[in-house]
Amino acid sequence: MASDQTRPAVPEAEVEEPVRRFVQLVLRGGLWVSFALMAVGLVLALVREGLGDAPAVKLLAMRGAPSAGERVMAAGILVLALTPALRVVSLLVLWARERDWRFVGVAAVVVVVLAIAAALGR
Amino acid sequence: MPAISVGSELALAGLGLFAGWLGAVIGIGGGVVIVPVLVLAFGYDIRVAVAASLVSVVATSTAAGSAYVGEGLANMRLGMSLEIATTIGGLTGGLISLLVSPSIISGVFAVVMLVTAVLVFRQKTEHHADAPTDGQRGLHLESGFETPGRLAGAYVDARTGTLIHYQAERLPVGAVVSFFAGALSGLLGVGGGFLKVPAMTLGMGIPVRVAAATSNFMIGVTAISSLFVYFAQGYVHPLIAVPLVLGVVVGATVGARTSGLVPARALSRILGVVLIVVAVQMGLRAAGLSIG
Repeated sequence: MASDQTRPAVPEAEVEEPVRRFVQLVLRGGLWVSFALMAVGLVLALVREGLGDAPAVKLLAMRGAPSAGERVMAAGILVLALTPALRVVSLLVLWARERDWRFVGVAAVVVVVLAIAAALGR
Repeated sequence: MPAISVGSELALAGLGLFAGWLGAVIGIGGGVVIVPVLVLAFGYDIRVAVAASLVSVVATSTAAGSAYVGEGLANMRLGMSLEIATTIGGLTGGLISLLVSPSIISGVFAVVMLVTAVLVFRQKTEHHADAPTDGQRGLHLESGFETPGRLAGAYVDARTGTLIHYQAERLPVGAVVSFFAGALSGLLGVGGGFLKVPAMTLGMGIPVRVAAATSNFMIGVTAISSLFVYFAQGYVHPLIAVPLVLGVVVGATVGARTSGLVPARALSRILGVVLIVVAVQMGLRAAGLSIG
Protein backbone atom coordinates (compact mmCIF):
# COMPACT_ATOMS: atom_id res chain seq x y z
CA MET A 1 0.00 0.00 0.00
CA ALA A 2 1.12 3.52 -0.78
CA SER A 3 0.28 4.59 2.73
CA ASP A 4 3.58 3.25 4.08
CA GLN A 5 5.47 5.83 2.03
CA THR A 6 3.31 8.75 3.06
CA ARG A 7 2.49 7.91 6.67
CA PRO A 8 3.74 10.67 8.93
CA ALA A 9 6.41 9.75 11.49
CA VAL A 10 4.54 10.91 14.59
CA PRO A 11 4.10 9.12 17.95
CA GLU A 12 0.31 8.68 17.65
CA ALA A 13 0.69 6.96 14.28
CA GLU A 14 3.28 4.57 15.68
CA VAL A 15 1.15 3.71 18.73
CA GLU A 16 -1.93 3.04 16.63
CA GLU A 17 -0.21 1.04 13.91
CA PRO A 18 -0.58 -2.43 15.56
CA VAL A 19 -4.23 -1.71 16.38
CA ARG A 20 -4.98 -0.78 12.78
CA ARG A 21 -3.15 -3.82 11.46
CA PHE A 22 -5.05 -6.18 13.77
CA VAL A 23 -8.45 -4.67 12.89
CA GLN A 24 -7.57 -4.89 9.21
CA LEU A 25 -6.63 -8.56 9.69
CA VAL A 26 -9.95 -9.30 11.41
CA LEU A 27 -11.97 -7.61 8.65
CA ARG A 28 -10.06 -9.17 5.77
CA GLY A 29 -9.98 -12.62 7.40
CA GLY A 30 -13.72 -12.60 8.01
CA LEU A 31 -14.36 -11.40 4.50
CA TRP A 32 -12.28 -14.12 2.84
CA VAL A 33 -13.66 -16.93 5.00
CA SER A 34 -17.23 -15.80 4.35
CA PHE A 35 -16.65 -15.44 0.60
CA ALA A 36 -15.10 -18.91 0.43
CA LEU A 37 -18.07 -20.44 2.26
CA MET A 38 -20.59 -18.55 0.10
CA ALA A 39 -18.85 -19.53 -3.15
CA VAL A 40 -18.51 -23.20 -2.18
CA GLY A 41 -22.12 -23.29 -1.00
CA LEU A 42 -23.37 -21.71 -4.20
CA VAL A 43 -21.44 -24.17 -6.35
CA LEU A 44 -22.80 -27.06 -4.27
CA ALA A 45 -26.34 -25.76 -4.69
CA LEU A 46 -25.96 -25.19 -8.41
CA VAL A 47 -24.05 -28.33 -9.37
CA ARG A 48 -25.11 -31.03 -6.96
CA GLU A 49 -28.47 -30.16 -5.53
CA GLY A 50 -30.40 -28.31 -8.17
CA LEU A 51 -32.59 -25.30 -7.49
CA GLY A 52 -36.19 -24.62 -6.71
CA ASP A 53 -37.55 -22.33 -4.06
CA ALA A 54 -35.26 -20.01 -2.13
CA PRO A 55 -35.92 -20.81 1.53
CA ALA A 56 -35.01 -18.34 4.26
CA VAL A 57 -32.54 -19.14 7.00
CA LYS A 58 -32.36 -17.97 10.58
CA LEU A 59 -29.33 -16.83 12.49
CA LEU A 60 -27.25 -19.58 14.11
CA ALA A 61 -29.83 -22.37 13.82
CA MET A 62 -30.09 -21.89 10.05
CA ARG A 63 -33.52 -23.42 10.19
CA GLY A 64 -35.17 -23.81 6.86
CA ALA A 65 -32.01 -24.49 4.86
CA PRO A 66 -32.77 -27.95 3.49
CA SER A 67 -29.60 -28.67 1.55
CA ALA A 68 -25.90 -28.78 2.30
CA GLY A 69 -25.19 -26.03 -0.23
CA GLU A 70 -27.65 -23.65 1.38
CA ARG A 71 -26.34 -24.44 4.84
CA VAL A 72 -22.78 -23.63 3.71
CA MET A 73 -23.99 -20.39 2.09
CA ALA A 74 -25.88 -19.52 5.28
CA ALA A 75 -22.70 -20.15 7.28
CA GLY A 76 -20.92 -17.74 4.93
CA ILE A 77 -23.54 -15.05 5.54
CA LEU A 78 -23.27 -15.69 9.28
CA VAL A 79 -19.46 -15.30 9.23
CA LEU A 80 -19.85 -12.11 7.19
CA ALA A 81 -22.42 -10.72 9.64
CA LEU A 82 -20.27 -11.55 12.65
CA THR A 83 -17.11 -9.99 11.18
CA PRO A 84 -18.01 -6.35 11.97
CA ALA A 85 -19.14 -7.48 15.45
CA LEU A 86 -15.77 -9.17 15.97
CA ARG A 87 -14.12 -5.89 14.93
CA VAL A 88 -16.02 -4.08 17.70
CA VAL A 89 -14.98 -6.66 20.31
CA SER A 90 -11.38 -6.56 19.06
CA LEU A 91 -11.23 -2.78 19.46
CA LEU A 92 -12.73 -3.05 22.93
CA VAL A 93 -9.90 -5.39 23.97
CA LEU A 94 -7.17 -3.42 22.18
CA TRP A 95 -8.29 -0.10 23.70
CA ALA A 96 -8.45 -1.77 27.13
CA ARG A 97 -4.80 -2.76 26.69
CA GLU A 98 -4.06 0.90 25.90
CA ARG A 99 -6.08 1.92 29.00
CA ASP A 100 -8.23 4.14 26.79
CA TRP A 101 -11.18 3.61 29.12
CA ARG A 102 -13.47 6.22 27.58
CA PHE A 103 -13.54 4.33 24.30
CA VAL A 104 -13.63 0.93 26.00
CA GLY A 105 -16.95 2.14 27.43
CA VAL A 106 -18.13 3.32 24.01
CA ALA A 107 -17.27 -0.05 22.43
CA ALA A 108 -18.99 -1.87 25.29
CA VAL A 109 -22.24 0.00 24.60
CA VAL A 110 -22.06 -0.97 20.92
CA VAL A 111 -21.47 -4.61 21.92
CA VAL A 112 -24.57 -4.49 24.13
CA VAL A 113 -26.73 -3.05 21.32
CA LEU A 114 -25.47 -5.71 18.89
CA ALA A 115 -26.09 -8.42 21.49
CA ILE A 116 -29.70 -7.23 21.83
CA ALA A 117 -30.09 -7.26 18.04
CA ALA A 118 -28.56 -10.76 17.82
CA ALA A 119 -30.86 -12.00 20.59
CA LEU A 120 -33.84 -10.69 18.61
CA GLY A 121 -32.44 -12.44 15.54
CA ARG A 122 -32.29 -15.95 16.99
CA MET B 1 -41.19 -16.58 -3.22
CA PRO B 2 -40.39 -16.95 -6.95
CA ALA B 3 -38.57 -20.14 -7.90
CA ILE B 4 -34.80 -19.90 -8.32
CA SER B 5 -33.10 -21.13 -11.48
CA VAL B 6 -29.57 -21.04 -12.84
CA GLY B 7 -30.69 -18.11 -14.98
CA SER B 8 -31.98 -16.13 -12.02
CA GLU B 9 -28.78 -16.84 -10.07
CA LEU B 10 -26.75 -15.47 -12.99
CA ALA B 11 -29.05 -12.46 -13.23
CA LEU B 12 -28.59 -11.78 -9.50
CA ALA B 13 -24.81 -12.04 -9.83
CA GLY B 14 -25.00 -9.69 -12.84
CA LEU B 15 -27.05 -7.19 -10.84
CA GLY B 16 -24.50 -7.33 -8.03
CA LEU B 17 -21.64 -6.93 -10.49
CA PHE B 18 -23.24 -3.83 -12.01
CA ALA B 19 -24.23 -2.29 -8.66
CA GLY B 20 -20.75 -2.89 -7.22
CA TRP B 21 -19.04 -1.45 -10.27
CA LEU B 22 -21.34 1.58 -10.39
CA GLY B 23 -20.88 2.21 -6.68
CA ALA B 24 -17.11 2.18 -7.03
CA VAL B 25 -17.09 4.39 -10.13
CA ILE B 26 -19.67 6.97 -9.07
CA GLY B 27 -19.38 6.73 -5.32
CA ILE B 28 -22.93 5.78 -4.34
CA GLY B 29 -23.90 2.84 -2.19
CA GLY B 30 -25.17 -0.22 -4.06
CA GLY B 31 -28.41 -0.53 -2.09
CA VAL B 32 -30.12 2.29 -3.93
CA VAL B 33 -29.70 0.26 -7.15
CA ILE B 34 -30.12 -3.26 -5.78
CA VAL B 35 -33.36 -2.92 -3.81
CA PRO B 36 -35.57 -1.39 -6.54
CA VAL B 37 -34.31 -3.86 -9.17
CA LEU B 38 -35.00 -6.81 -6.86
CA VAL B 39 -38.50 -5.47 -6.20
CA LEU B 40 -39.51 -4.19 -9.63
CA ALA B 41 -37.67 -6.59 -11.96
CA PHE B 42 -37.33 -9.77 -9.87
CA GLY B 43 -40.65 -9.40 -8.05
CA TYR B 44 -39.28 -10.05 -4.56
CA ASP B 45 -40.90 -8.74 -1.38
CA ILE B 46 -39.19 -5.47 -0.46
CA ARG B 47 -38.08 -6.89 2.90
CA VAL B 48 -36.34 -9.79 1.13
CA ALA B 49 -34.69 -7.23 -1.16
CA VAL B 50 -33.63 -5.07 1.79
CA ALA B 51 -32.15 -8.08 3.62
CA ALA B 52 -30.17 -9.14 0.52
CA SER B 53 -28.97 -5.57 0.06
CA LEU B 54 -27.88 -5.39 3.70
CA VAL B 55 -25.71 -8.49 3.23
CA SER B 56 -23.98 -6.84 0.26
CA VAL B 57 -23.66 -3.58 2.22
CA VAL B 58 -21.85 -5.45 5.01
CA ALA B 59 -19.49 -7.02 2.45
CA THR B 60 -18.58 -3.79 0.65
CA SER B 61 -18.25 -1.85 3.90
CA THR B 62 -15.98 -4.51 5.37
CA ALA B 63 -13.78 -4.53 2.26
CA ALA B 64 -13.57 -0.74 1.96
CA GLY B 65 -13.37 -0.25 5.74
CA SER B 66 -10.38 -2.57 6.07
CA ALA B 67 -8.50 -0.57 3.43
CA TYR B 68 -9.33 2.75 5.11
CA VAL B 69 -8.32 1.39 8.53
CA GLY B 70 -5.00 0.21 7.11
CA GLU B 71 -4.30 3.67 5.76
CA GLY B 72 -5.39 5.36 8.98
CA LEU B 73 -7.99 7.46 7.18
CA ALA B 74 -10.94 5.98 9.07
CA ASN B 75 -11.07 7.37 12.60
CA MET B 76 -12.07 4.26 14.59
CA ARG B 77 -12.84 6.14 17.82
CA LEU B 78 -15.10 8.58 16.00
CA GLY B 79 -16.73 5.71 14.11
CA MET B 80 -17.31 3.67 17.27
CA SER B 81 -18.78 6.71 19.06
CA LEU B 82 -21.30 7.29 16.28
CA GLU B 83 -21.99 3.55 16.00
CA ILE B 84 -23.86 3.73 19.32
CA ALA B 85 -26.43 5.88 17.49
CA THR B 86 -26.33 4.04 14.15
CA THR B 87 -26.79 0.58 15.68
CA ILE B 88 -29.72 1.75 17.81
CA GLY B 89 -31.09 3.41 14.66
CA GLY B 90 -30.46 0.28 12.57
CA LEU B 91 -32.24 -1.92 15.09
CA THR B 92 -35.12 0.57 15.17
CA GLY B 93 -35.32 0.65 11.36
CA GLY B 94 -35.34 -3.14 11.19
CA LEU B 95 -38.16 -3.33 13.74
CA ILE B 96 -40.13 -0.58 11.97
CA SER B 97 -39.93 -2.59 8.74
CA LEU B 98 -41.88 -5.33 10.48
CA LEU B 99 -44.61 -2.96 11.61
CA VAL B 100 -45.31 -0.97 8.43
CA SER B 101 -46.65 -2.19 5.11
CA PRO B 102 -44.33 -2.83 2.13
CA SER B 103 -45.98 0.08 0.30
CA ILE B 104 -44.83 2.53 2.98
CA ILE B 105 -41.27 1.17 2.75
CA SER B 106 -41.46 1.56 -1.05
CA GLY B 107 -42.66 5.15 -0.62
CA VAL B 108 -39.81 6.05 1.73
CA PHE B 109 -37.37 4.34 -0.63
CA ALA B 110 -38.68 6.43 -3.53
CA VAL B 111 -37.99 9.62 -1.55
CA VAL B 112 -34.45 8.47 -0.71
CA MET B 113 -33.87 7.66 -4.40
CA LEU B 114 -34.93 11.18 -5.36
CA VAL B 115 -32.56 12.65 -2.77
CA THR B 116 -29.76 10.42 -4.09
CA ALA B 117 -30.55 11.56 -7.66
CA VAL B 118 -30.20 15.20 -6.58
CA LEU B 119 -26.89 14.46 -4.85
CA VAL B 120 -25.62 12.59 -7.91
CA PHE B 121 -26.52 15.55 -10.15
CA ARG B 122 -24.80 17.98 -7.81
CA GLN B 123 -21.53 16.04 -7.61
CA LYS B 124 -18.62 17.99 -9.00
CA THR B 125 -16.00 16.62 -11.35
CA GLU B 126 -13.30 17.21 -8.75
CA HIS B 127 -15.26 15.10 -6.31
CA HIS B 128 -15.15 12.19 -8.73
CA ALA B 129 -11.45 12.55 -9.14
CA ASP B 130 -10.41 12.63 -5.52
CA ALA B 131 -12.90 12.07 -2.77
CA PRO B 132 -13.43 8.58 -1.40
CA THR B 133 -17.12 7.88 -0.81
CA ASP B 134 -19.35 4.92 -0.03
CA GLY B 135 -17.77 3.02 -2.89
CA GLN B 136 -14.11 2.18 -2.90
CA ARG B 137 -12.62 5.13 -4.72
CA GLY B 138 -9.38 6.79 -3.79
CA LEU B 139 -8.34 4.17 -1.26
CA HIS B 140 -4.63 4.71 -1.69
CA LEU B 141 -4.38 8.47 -1.96
CA GLU B 142 -3.73 9.46 1.64
CA SER B 143 -2.88 8.14 5.04
CA GLY B 144 -3.49 9.36 8.55
CA PHE B 145 -3.78 8.52 12.22
CA GLU B 146 -6.06 9.14 15.18
CA THR B 147 -5.25 10.46 18.63
CA PRO B 148 -5.76 7.95 21.51
CA GLY B 149 -8.25 9.11 24.12
CA ARG B 150 -9.76 11.83 21.92
CA LEU B 151 -12.01 12.29 18.90
CA ALA B 152 -9.17 13.79 16.92
CA GLY B 153 -6.48 12.91 14.43
CA ALA B 154 -4.71 14.01 11.28
CA TYR B 155 -4.19 12.93 7.70
CA VAL B 156 -1.77 13.69 4.92
CA ASP B 157 -3.28 15.47 1.94
CA ALA B 158 -1.75 13.65 -1.03
CA ARG B 159 -2.01 16.68 -3.33
CA THR B 160 -0.23 19.13 -1.06
CA GLY B 161 1.72 16.72 1.15
CA THR B 162 0.63 18.64 4.24
CA LEU B 163 -0.48 17.09 7.51
CA ILE B 164 -4.01 18.27 8.30
CA HIS B 165 -5.15 18.01 11.94
CA TYR B 166 -8.79 17.80 12.95
CA GLN B 167 -10.84 17.64 16.14
CA ALA B 168 -14.47 16.48 16.26
CA GLU B 169 -16.97 19.04 17.50
CA ARG B 170 -20.66 18.82 18.38
CA LEU B 171 -20.82 15.04 18.84
CA PRO B 172 -24.57 15.18 19.70
CA VAL B 173 -25.31 16.60 16.23
CA GLY B 174 -23.45 13.73 14.59
CA ALA B 175 -25.15 11.23 16.89
CA VAL B 176 -28.69 12.44 16.10
CA VAL B 177 -28.10 12.37 12.34
CA SER B 178 -26.35 9.00 12.66
CA PHE B 179 -29.41 7.58 14.41
CA PHE B 180 -31.61 8.53 11.45
CA ALA B 181 -28.96 7.25 8.99
CA GLY B 182 -28.99 3.93 10.85
CA ALA B 183 -32.79 3.80 10.85
CA LEU B 184 -32.91 4.41 7.10
CA SER B 185 -30.24 1.76 6.61
CA GLY B 186 -32.27 -0.76 8.59
CA LEU B 187 -35.53 0.12 6.88
CA LEU B 188 -34.26 0.40 3.30
CA GLY B 189 -31.04 -1.65 3.07
CA VAL B 190 -28.85 1.33 2.15
CA GLY B 191 -25.56 2.40 3.70
CA GLY B 192 -26.71 5.82 4.84
CA GLY B 193 -23.44 7.54 3.97
CA PHE B 194 -25.36 10.35 2.26
CA LEU B 195 -26.49 11.46 5.75
CA LYS B 196 -23.46 10.55 7.86
CA VAL B 197 -20.81 12.18 5.71
CA PRO B 198 -22.48 15.64 5.71
CA ALA B 199 -23.20 15.26 9.44
CA MET B 200 -19.51 14.71 10.10
CA THR B 201 -18.22 17.35 7.70
CA LEU B 202 -20.76 20.14 8.21
CA GLY B 203 -21.90 19.25 11.72
CA MET B 204 -18.72 18.03 13.39
CA GLY B 205 -15.91 19.72 11.46
CA ILE B 206 -14.35 16.49 10.15
CA PRO B 207 -12.47 16.66 6.80
CA VAL B 208 -14.47 15.05 3.99
CA ARG B 209 -11.87 12.35 3.30
CA VAL B 210 -11.81 11.23 6.92
CA ALA B 211 -15.62 11.46 7.13
CA ALA B 212 -16.11 9.31 4.02
CA ALA B 213 -13.60 6.72 5.24
CA THR B 214 -15.12 6.66 8.73
CA SER B 215 -18.63 6.35 7.27
CA ASN B 216 -17.53 3.27 5.30
CA PHE B 217 -15.92 1.86 8.43
CA MET B 218 -19.23 2.25 10.33
CA ILE B 219 -21.67 0.92 7.74
CA GLY B 220 -21.01 -2.80 8.34
CA VAL B 221 -21.74 -2.64 12.09
CA THR B 222 -24.82 -0.50 11.43
CA ALA B 223 -26.12 -2.94 8.82
CA ILE B 224 -25.79 -6.05 10.98
CA SER B 225 -27.88 -4.49 13.78
CA SER B 226 -30.89 -4.63 11.44
CA LEU B 227 -29.77 -7.71 9.49
CA PHE B 228 -30.20 -9.76 12.67
CA VAL B 229 -33.87 -8.69 12.73
CA TYR B 230 -34.35 -9.72 9.10
CA PHE B 231 -32.73 -13.06 9.91
CA ALA B 232 -35.27 -13.61 12.68
CA GLN B 233 -38.22 -12.84 10.44
CA GLY B 234 -37.09 -15.19 7.66
CA TYR B 235 -36.19 -12.56 5.08
CA VAL B 236 -32.59 -13.71 4.50
CA HIS B 237 -32.50 -16.11 1.53
CA PRO B 238 -29.00 -17.45 0.74
CA LEU B 239 -29.90 -18.29 -2.86
CA ILE B 240 -30.79 -14.61 -3.40
CA ALA B 241 -28.19 -12.88 -1.21
CA VAL B 242 -25.11 -14.95 -2.07
CA PRO B 243 -24.90 -14.50 -5.87
CA LEU B 244 -25.72 -10.85 -5.32
CA VAL B 245 -22.99 -10.23 -2.76
CA LEU B 246 -20.36 -12.17 -4.72
CA GLY B 247 -21.22 -10.07 -7.77
CA VAL B 248 -21.09 -6.82 -5.79
CA VAL B 249 -17.62 -7.50 -4.43
CA VAL B 250 -16.20 -8.46 -7.84
CA GLY B 251 -17.90 -5.42 -9.40
CA ALA B 252 -16.57 -3.06 -6.73
CA THR B 253 -13.05 -4.42 -7.19
CA VAL B 254 -13.21 -3.99 -10.96
CA GLY B 255 -14.80 -0.55 -10.55
CA ALA B 256 -12.08 0.66 -8.18
CA ARG B 257 -9.42 -0.33 -10.72
CA THR B 258 -11.19 1.09 -13.76
CA SER B 259 -12.73 4.24 -12.30
CA GLY B 260 -10.29 6.47 -14.14
CA LEU B 261 -11.20 4.91 -17.49
CA VAL B 262 -14.91 5.74 -17.56
CA PRO B 263 -16.59 9.15 -17.95
CA ALA B 264 -17.86 9.34 -14.39
CA ARG B 265 -19.65 12.66 -14.83
CA ALA B 266 -21.70 11.49 -17.81
CA LEU B 267 -22.41 8.24 -16.02
CA SER B 268 -23.61 10.18 -12.96
CA ARG B 269 -26.08 12.14 -15.06
CA ILE B 270 -27.45 9.00 -16.68
CA LEU B 271 -27.75 7.38 -13.26
CA GLY B 272 -29.51 10.47 -11.91
CA VAL B 273 -32.18 10.24 -14.62
CA VAL B 274 -32.58 6.48 -14.10
CA LEU B 275 -32.93 6.98 -10.34
CA ILE B 276 -35.72 9.51 -10.88
CA VAL B 277 -37.58 7.19 -13.27
CA VAL B 278 -37.25 4.22 -10.92
CA ALA B 279 -38.19 6.39 -7.92
CA VAL B 280 -41.43 7.29 -9.71
CA GLN B 281 -42.09 3.59 -10.30
CA MET B 282 -41.42 2.82 -6.64
CA GLY B 283 -43.69 5.71 -5.67
CA LEU B 284 -46.47 4.43 -7.91
CA ARG B 285 -46.03 0.98 -6.44
CA ALA B 286 -46.32 2.49 -2.98
CA ALA B 287 -49.58 4.10 -4.08
CA GLY B 288 -50.85 0.76 -5.36
CA LEU B 289 -50.33 1.60 -9.04
CA SER B 290 -47.87 0.21 -11.55
CA ILE B 291 -46.63 1.05 -15.01
CA GLY B 292 -44.53 -0.83 -17.52
